[in-house]
Amino acid sequence: METFYHKITVVFLVLIAFVPAWGQEERELGSVSRTYAITNVTIIQSPGRQVDGGTLVIKDGLIKSVGKNIAVPPEAIIIKGDSLFVYAGFIDGLSRVGVVKPREEIREKIKDPGNPPPDRAGISPYVDVRNFLNTADKNIEELRAIGFTTAHVVPYGGMLPGQSAIISLAGKSADDMVLVPVSSLYSELTPNERVYPVTVIGVMAKWRELYRQAVQAKSYEAVYASNRSGLEPPATNRILVSFNPVIDKRIPVLFKAEKFLDIQRVLALQSDLGFSLLAGDIKEGWDATTKLKASGTKVFLSLDLPEDKKKDDKKSEEKKDTITVEKDQLEKRKDEFMAKHVGQAFAYQQAGISFGFATLSVKTRDIQPNLRRMIKAGLTEDQALAALTINSAQLLGLSDRLGSLDPGKIANVIISERPYFHEKSKVKYVFVEGVPYKLDSKDSKKEESKIQLEGDWSLTATTPQGKSESTLNITKTEGKYKGKLSGNQLTETAEVNEIKLEGRKLNFSCLINVQGQQMKITIDATVEGDFFKGTVQVEGADSFPVEGKKVPKLNR
Amino acid sequence: MNMKKLSIALLLISVMYPAVAQNILIKNGTVLTVTKGVLVNTDVLVKDGKISQLGKNITAPTGYRILDASGKFVMPGIIDAHSHEGIDAINEWSTPVTAEVFVGDALNPFQISLYRALAGGVTTIHTMHGSANAIGGQCETIKLRYGVKDPKELIMNGAPRTIKFALGENPTRVHGGGNAIVPRTRMGVEFVMRESFSKAKEYSAAWDTYTKNKTQKGFRGTPPEYNYRLETLAEVLKGNILIHCHSYRADEIYMMLNVCKDFGIKKIVFQHVNEGFKVAPELAAFGAMASVFSDWWAYKFEVYYSTAYNAAILTRNGVTTSINSDDPELMRHLYHEASKTQKYGGLKDEEALALITINPAKQLGIEDRVGSIEVGKEADISIFSAHPLSIYAVPLITIVDGVVRFDREKDPDDMRIYVDPRAEIDMADFTEGHDHDRCMQGAEDMFDTLFRTN
Repeated sequence: METFYHKITVVFLVLIAFVPAWGQEERELGSVSRTYAITNVTIIQSPGRQVDGGTLVIKDGLIKSVGKNIAVPPEAIIIKGDSLFVYAGFIDGLSRVGVVKPREEIREKIKDPGNPPPDRAGISPYVDVRNFLNTADKNIEELRAIGFTTAHVVPYGGMLPGQSAIISLAGKSADDMVLVPVSSLYSELTPNERVYPVTVIGVMAKWRELYRQAVQAKSYEAVYASNRSGLEPPATNRILVSFNPVIDKRIPVLFKAEKFLDIQRVLALQSDLGFSLLAGDIKEGWDATTKLKASGTKVFLSLDLPEDKKKDDKKSEEKKDTITVEKDQLEKRKDEFMAKHVGQAFAYQQAGISFGFATLSVKTRDIQPNLRRMIKAGLTEDQALAALTINSAQLLGLSDRLGSLDPGKIANVIISERPYFHEKSKVKYVFVEGVPYKLDSKDSKKEESKIQLEGDWSLTATTPQGKSESTLNITKTEGKYKGKLSGNQLTETAEVNEIKLEGRKLNFSCLINVQGQQMKITIDATVEGDFFKGTVQVEGADSFPVEGKKVPKLNR
Repeated sequence: MNMKKLSIALLLISVMYPAVAQNILIKNGTVLTVTKGVLVNTDVLVKDGKISQLGKNITAPTGYRILDASGKFVMPGIIDAHSHEGIDAINEWSTPVTAEVFVGDALNPFQISLYRALAGGVTTIHTMHGSANAIGGQCETIKLRYGVKDPKELIMNGAPRTIKFALGENPTRVHGGGNAIVPRTRMGVEFVMRESFSKAKEYSAAWDTYTKNKTQKGFRGTPPEYNYRLETLAEVLKGNILIHCHSYRADEIYMMLNVCKDFGIKKIVFQHVNEGFKVAPELAAFGAMASVFSDWWAYKFEVYYSTAYNAAILTRNGVTTSINSDDPELMRHLYHEASKTQKYGGLKDEEALALITINPAKQLGIEDRVGSIEVGKEADISIFSAHPLSIYAVPLITIVDGVVRFDREKDPDDMRIYVDPRAEIDMADFTEGHDHDRCMQGAEDMFDTLFRTN
């Protein structure tokens, strides 16, 4: 009883003592002033337009002035930019950053697979991605940390998942993030599992039918609106109506088209129906340049590249038997196609196609290395930068607001140590709509040594069922962290065999037993002193926010 | 060694980017025209992708490539009236009627099976929708221009549109058996056909009325809703899309003939038709055609009553008959398949060859362009080391539209057009593509539901 009482008091004390401190740990800088001046800095206003030792002034979310000999307003918070480089924030042409995947519900079996309800058939063009935006999605922070400030985001789903939006990668609420709502109608050639359409040919046929029905419905609507008397009222159909802005060419269709044949199929639909087309996440499109150009399609190339496995070259004295020769030839062909993948962006540049990039299927940590691979394959740094900034802005119709560092544009700004495409370059600050985000560039080893993991941590996971408390006891042996996880809801204490700490990133997983059910959980968190904050992922299920607080040692 | 490598590289390049039709003189071969007899020691002149001259001692104009066919046999490129190669999707099995889908939307020019078929002397294939539904999707007639990348370049432009229908066990298993949806029986299949055609008739009529009324002054009215499925079926009724109907049993074949009669459909090609020999006179009287296997049966209950004499019996009864593959492996030796009709049925050389050339051409409505060696026809030609109906025959060169697409002497190991740099190197697998019923690809799952194998 005494211990229990003790604990409560401790938790209470901890809360009082540390919650405000946590607030101070937020990395969004204070808002004493909304004016910032980055001084004596190398400014890349847009590819090829560079100002050395210049000043960039940001005021009220916009770029106020940029150049040499710029007066620094007295109220400005000054960031000394000596040896730093400033770029316009990057634009992601197709992604799901910040978009929540709707939970898989257990749904009734469809009796007639030939006539599924449209939403079960992947047909929900009326869905607005804004309903699925989550400002706390950690991908937003990760993508922002490497310089992305804007993204063209799409909902999850099947052949017609819904409407996209262009968002800023920061904001207090979903609406706050949105820059352009309903920017395109998003589509994929993805068939359904067991209901019509189950094949790509079914998807294409259904696409044509829906589009033609929408055209027909729209024209009847117009006839009816002009004179209602004596005419049957048009049926209201939110699926068909969703095509209207596409039919009017007010918005394009954004199609995911990774492979060469996907591109051909999407272009076939486009030429049959005549909509404006954005083709996104192109991965194998080097042979499609002529056709894409002729059709006026706007393209976003995937930032994903096949992994470059370093081969150990054992060419030396090995005997060249027939199998080795044959293998070598096959390897050579793989190399040839690897080069095509890596050289795709350059091929588009050569073909005179203005392109942007898409992060839809790339791991964030691969983006910078992949950009460097593309540059090594022939793309110039300026061309890569253009694809990330002015070209994307232009392709998305945002040139008047984004894409370059010019007065009057939205203050989406990247400040990096060393030029951005340099191997050791690091992004230090990112401004999104004039709000600065400071990023850590401290040596991670130093950080690691400062963190004292050993001891008891109290963990709080926030689940839909409420808060779940547990205690993690961490010990260190032979340089390795281990742990024991216990709590009221855990039937038995769970052993954590290895706790990884890289920089401030904490990661571990263990098997827990809840009411006789075994499940694997994985925790990813960032440590700040005696706290960590992150997510707990339950294998095969959802992930929840989790926080940990170091329990101070008590003197008994 | 280096020179060899260089020549391989050059060869690869030339294979990858062939494009333009060559002008060719095929010298001094035994020309099996199929329609105009056998011409010995005869030259074939190919100009701009067409056969421009046949005769003895033709002098090649300058710039012509000369292929010496002395001691060799020259025949029209083989045509396969039933294949599922060159497409990424075969079966939209989800509903009994899917007339609106079109395999031409999913052409895949990179499938290596297309090159392998070329190596068997094949130049044109009818790549079809599967047989999981009573009324399946539309098919596509393609030429094996292996090496092209744009799927559109595979299409035999101007070839009539075709559509797959299916009778018997496949559509009843998938829908009736798997999902308790009509059709569960052969009667159900007939009902689906008749119902669909009736709906299509009503649909056309409604549009005709609307279009007619619309021109009248002061017209007020609502148009019928656009329906891609019925729109397509209406084209079938108008005769603009040719039916290719998967079938085995005589009773259902006869049923289908009656359905066609009732709806005024004049042209139909039956596929497989294993019991065609029982209704050969009826087929001939209707003018229906038959595309059969040489000797493949017993892979499901409805395919037991079969005979290797089928093609011969149909032929002798005056039915335009072809032998097809329905399979990437069989497709590579259709000339062997045709020759079996000489053992089982004693067909003459010309009749046997017609089964894989001019007859399938007729079934696809392309007999004016391909299927025989005649002046003016497209230069789709195969050159064999011996008579193609001989077991010793080896295909040496295959020409499509005047372009040499296969040459046994220049046949590199790796003919893939696209390579996945991540993939482990493909291992040869002799079981691949030998599943007995490629017609049902993608719909196999539905059997589990039926047979409760899971």
